[in-house]
Amino acid sequence: MAVSRTTLKSLYGVCGVVYRQPLLFPSSLKCASIQITRSKFERDYQRPGQPPDTRWPWQMINFDFSKGVESVRKHFGLLKDEFFQRWIGPEGKPIIEHMLEQTRVVWEFRGPESLNEWIVSSDQEIGGRSVAYVSLGKNNTTCLLYGTLSSTPPRDGETRYSGYCSMRSKPPKASFDRKKHYDWSSFNTLHLRIRGDGRPWMINVSAETYFSHQRDDIYSYFLYTRGGPYWQDVKIPFSKFFLSSRGRIQDSQHPLWLDKINTIGFTLGDKADGPFQLEIDFIGLNNDCAHTEEFAYELYKKNP
Amino acid sequence: MSASHHLLRLQCVRCVSHFLGTPVRQVILPGRAHLQTPGSQHIYVQLLRPFHRSAVCSTDRQNRTDIEKLVEDETHHKDKTLVTHDDIFDRAAGDSKTKVEFNRVVDVFKSKDIRRRGHVEFIYAALKKMPEFGVECDVTVYNKLLDVFPKEVFVPQNFIQRMFNHYPRQQECGVQVLEQMENYGVMPNIETKVLLVQIFGEKSHPIRKFQRIMYWFPKFKHTNPYPVPHVLPSDPVDLAQFSLTRIAADLDAKITIYQYPSTDITETGEEITRPHIVGIQSPDQRSLLAKHNPCKPVFVEGPYPLWLRQKCVHYYLLRADPIPPEEKVEEEIDPEMICPEQSLFFPQRVELDLKVDMGDDHSFNVDEVEEGAVYAMCMAGQGDQATLSQWISGLQETCPILGQIPTVFRLESGPRELQTSTDDHQRPEQEAETDQIIEDDEEPRHSRGVKQ
Repeated sequence: MAVSRTTLKSLYGVCGVVYRQPLLFPSSLKCASIQITRSKFERDYQRPGQPPDTRWPWQMINFDFSKGVESVRKHFGLLKDEFFQRWIGPEGKPIIEHMLEQTRVVWEFRGPESLNEWIVSSDQEIGGRSVAYVSLGKNNTTCLLYGTLSSTPPRDGETRYSGYCSMRSKPPKASFDRKKHYDWSSFNTLHLRIRGDGRPWMINVSAETYFSHQRDDIYSYFLYTRGGPYWQDVKIPFSKFFLSSRGRIQDSQHPLWLDKINTIGFTLGDKADGPFQLEIDFIGLNNDCAHTEEFAYELYKKNP
Repeated sequence: MSASHHLLRLQCVRCVSHFLGTPVRQVILPGRAHLQTPGSQHIYVQLLRPFHRSAVCSTDRQNRTDIEKLVEDETHHKDKTLVTHDDIFDRAAGDSKTKVEFNRVVDVFKSKDIRRRGHVEFIYAALKKMPEFGVECDVTVYNKLLDVFPKEVFVPQNFIQRMFNHYPRQQECGVQVLEQMENYGVMPNIETKVLLVQIFGEKSHPIRKFQRIMYWFPKFKHTNPYPVPHVLPSDPVDLAQFSLTRIAADLDAKITIYQYPSTDITETGEEITRPHIVGIQSPDQRSLLAKHNPCKPVFVEGPYPLWLRQKCVHYYLLRADPIPPEEKVEEEIDPEMICPEQSLFFPQRVELDLKVDMGDDHSFNVDEVEEGAVYAMCMAGQGDQATLSQWISGLQETCPILGQIPTVFRLESGPRELQTSTDDHQRPEQEAETDQIIEDDEEPRHSRGVKQ
């Protein structure tokens, strides 16, 4: 009991610090900031010392009539879209527009519902002390990711490192929760307009894989922010993304295949304890014809 | 270079030794002795000795220091109780925790026992203690730690040993040393490689880890387009200049130092410390400020954080609110500029669609984020209103329009108060007081000072 009370208090303490830390555009604090974290069922990490969840799968489902009605409406709407959009063209766009497309804005933040496509998580899942929140920035036209990073490892005797905060997009779903993927194969550059506070971030793109042991494969690259009041346009070619799995960069690299992209994420873990913030205007794709590189890293067999 | 040469020679000799059997190993030893750093000559002596010999005979009991006694105690009573090596570092170092002390503890451990009993635990303890001694970014210290491993013992000799994990605990420990180097961004050098080859052999896990580090570290060394030096300038004025040029994103921006930090003692004996004020303004910002509508106020906002590696600095902005759409003035172009009489070679405006193809539109279909213009930026030693109004009055010399524009200070609680509140949170019983502080801080935010 005493332990839980102290942790609660420390949590409050951190929240207080976050609240009092001046943000680049403080007006957003007035509107309710949303903390969307991963629900317990989406995590596959079990903390050392914690008992496993022994409930049956159906005990975790919330059977609710209004929720059922809502989901029927949503899924049949999606089905209708899927059926009728293909008469217009691929992905609901006319074919000429699709063929001549050079740029595409995949995510932009124009309202509170656009934040529902994102999942924020921090090392609280593994027992750490970092907190991360996401909210809309000024004018409700940007996404503001902020919080406090703390690299104190949890005291469970096994975990050695801690201190990360991340935001990840939800994987796209077709009707009736079928898998759907983004097809970005006509583009070769990721284009972001961001404004940070000088900290380096990491962009993680996860693609659909075939084998189940590749489930944790992500392709990452660095996102360096300059800091300051000005927006920053960042172009990252997809050829520079390197393969890593479970936080370890892999010996045998592979270029990122863009035809089945599931999620994109931003991770902060630069071991500098303190408040952070990242403001994202939009995340887009660009076909940069001047960039011809296939893959930036060697593909020969290393460590024979 | 010479080290790698020795490495090659060592390899050749080992190839020969497969045919000749063991006697060659005696021959290798003098060659390897060159590889040791000059400070660790006792290893040479140890390696010349037969391997299975009592450690007690070799120790010189005349001149033993208290640290040696400590290590001796630890090694002798090891079978009786669980002993951690953390104590050696704590007790040996005492007050002064420096690199010299750290090296001394490692040296004493090495010279104590020829079999290096408990060296894995010792290395783990040393790795944990490295940040305390401030040596976590020093590659020579890591090499010295790797030197604690006995040489040639963990190298697999036949294919079965090579196939299975030979001495797994020791290899894990070696990997752990390298991983800590990786975490602190320390690049291993050739001496590290020579040591690892001597200890674990050519294709062991630590060597693999070493190769990975050497492959990936140089690749990402210069990826940052806004580089930050490893050692930041200690002078606050220099630091402010560096950070302001970084966030200004304009090479034409000019830095003005409005006030140097100084401490004066008045006649009454009071000390007056003047904080430093460093500002930056680019020509674009100055022209924007000149066009500002004098009826609307400008705001001094801040402090905003900027991170330079592990250090956080704060800056202040002079900015305006976004202009509402009905008051926006369209830039009117002089009709003489677009008329057919304009210069053919230097046209002011061309009404041609210069797109090469219909698909070559590389702009993004997003709305611009409406924000107020930024007129100037500054960093100051203190974030109070008096200091910042000095900055504004300094700005008025170059931008006289600021004298007519009302200036509103929208200052949040400064970084210093934030620091105290975090200290308070560490003691949970003081939560009530902290709440009061938060309330106190909000009051000045409501009562914004207006300066004409």
